[in-house]
Amino acid sequence: MSSLTDRYLAATLRSVPAGRRAEIETELRGSIEDMIDGRRADGRDTEAAEREVLNELGDPAQLAARYADRRLQLIGPAYYLAWERLMKLLLSFIPALVGVVVGLVEASDGNGGGAIGEGISAAIQTAVQIAFWVTLVFAVLERTNTALHLPAWTVDQLREDHVNRQITPVDTVAAIGFLVLVIAYLPIQQFRSFVPGDGHGNLPILDPALWSFWLPFLIAVLVATIGLEVAKFRAGRWTWPLVGVNAVLDLAFAVPVIWLISTDRLLNPDFVHRWEWLSQADNLHNVATFVAVGTALITAWDIIDSAIKAYRNRH
Amino acid sequence: MVSDEVLRTHLQELRRGTVVVASLVALRLPDYGYALLQRLTGHGFPVDANTLYPLLRRLEEQGLLTSEWNTEESRPRKFYRTSEEGERVLQRLLGDLAAVQTSLTDLIEGAQR
Repeated sequence: MSSLTDRYLAATLRSVPAGRRAEIETELRGSIEDMIDGRRADGRDTEAAEREVLNELGDPAQLAARYADRRLQLIGPAYYLAWERLMKLLLSFIPALVGVVVGLVEASDGNGGGAIGEGISAAIQTAVQIAFWVTLVFAVLERTNTALHLPAWTVDQLREDHVNRQITPVDTVAAIGFLVLVIAYLPIQQFRSFVPGDGHGNLPILDPALWSFWLPFLIAVLVATIGLEVAKFRAGRWTWPLVGVNAVLDLAFAVPVIWLISTDRLLNPDFVHRWEWLSQADNLHNVATFVAVGTALITAWDIIDSAIKAYRNRH
Repeated sequence: MVSDEVLRTHLQELRRGTVVVASLVALRLPDYGYALLQRLTGHGFPVDANTLYPLLRRLEEQGLLTSEWNTEESRPRKFYRTSEEGERVLQRLLGDLAAVQTSLTDLIEGAQR
């Protein structure tokens, strides 16, 4: 017996259930010898015939999989769609959420510069972990042929507003993420502005006197804006009531900010004095004007934009 | 003109199920792997060896074939034969194949009208 056939048999039998190995070996060895004999009868020499036969039988791992009725795919059609949907769902928000939380924790620990890098790195690691474990679970399901018992698809699952949805999940998640960051920043800057004070560790950027009313008020407006984003997402499009609420909230935020900065009450006086350039009256005035005009423009644009979109929805 | 690759895939799909039917018919006369391969090829059912050998074992596990070792010749050979259960399944399969042929004929004639 030549060693090539022996090696082929060994490679094949390695991954065949042990209980049936001996019988399969005898039968497969006989079949291979029959095939070699057949080719020799056609005038081929033994060595060439053996090579041809083994090449024809192909990859031993594949042959073994056929004997064992094993699947040669990580995730087959029975599980693929469930895998894909779960993956999209989890990856759509969990890594971003973890990244933001880690970034905020890092920033509140006083590491302002490294916060963004830490957040991004945490988000990437989370995404890789999710992808690995979800895929592993589905690959095991595929191997063990477990029934998922998922409800069968019906037409009821067609999303009515799928085609002309104006507000996508990505928009909403991004908007809410930004609002959460701003809300978190307001208290954080009070304790960790990264501007060292003269004697004590930290100089708040905004005037601490504002905590008596205006800052809590602005935070409340921002929280209400998160609610608006959710309502907007559920509606799927801009409606006139949404435009109205949006305009009220925009103005409730912008008017106090413009008024406070114009009357020199927004920034912490100690913070202003800390910077020679900023503490000159002309420069402070310019900054205040810039902030006031910028806020007014952004607010106006947001209100006009929402109104245009709502108008387009009228057929 | 469709590519050879496309044509080959469709022919493969068409042939896939018929290998089981052809094997069950052929093994009404007991035979061993390589000889069955030769017979099927001779009758216009070219099968890959690496498909047929595992298939015979699977059909045996499903009870559609029985087997018996023959040690009288130069090398031991496993002879398969269609079981009673295999014959019943075969009748159903042949019936279905005939029904497909009939439906196809009807369809072709209907299309020509």
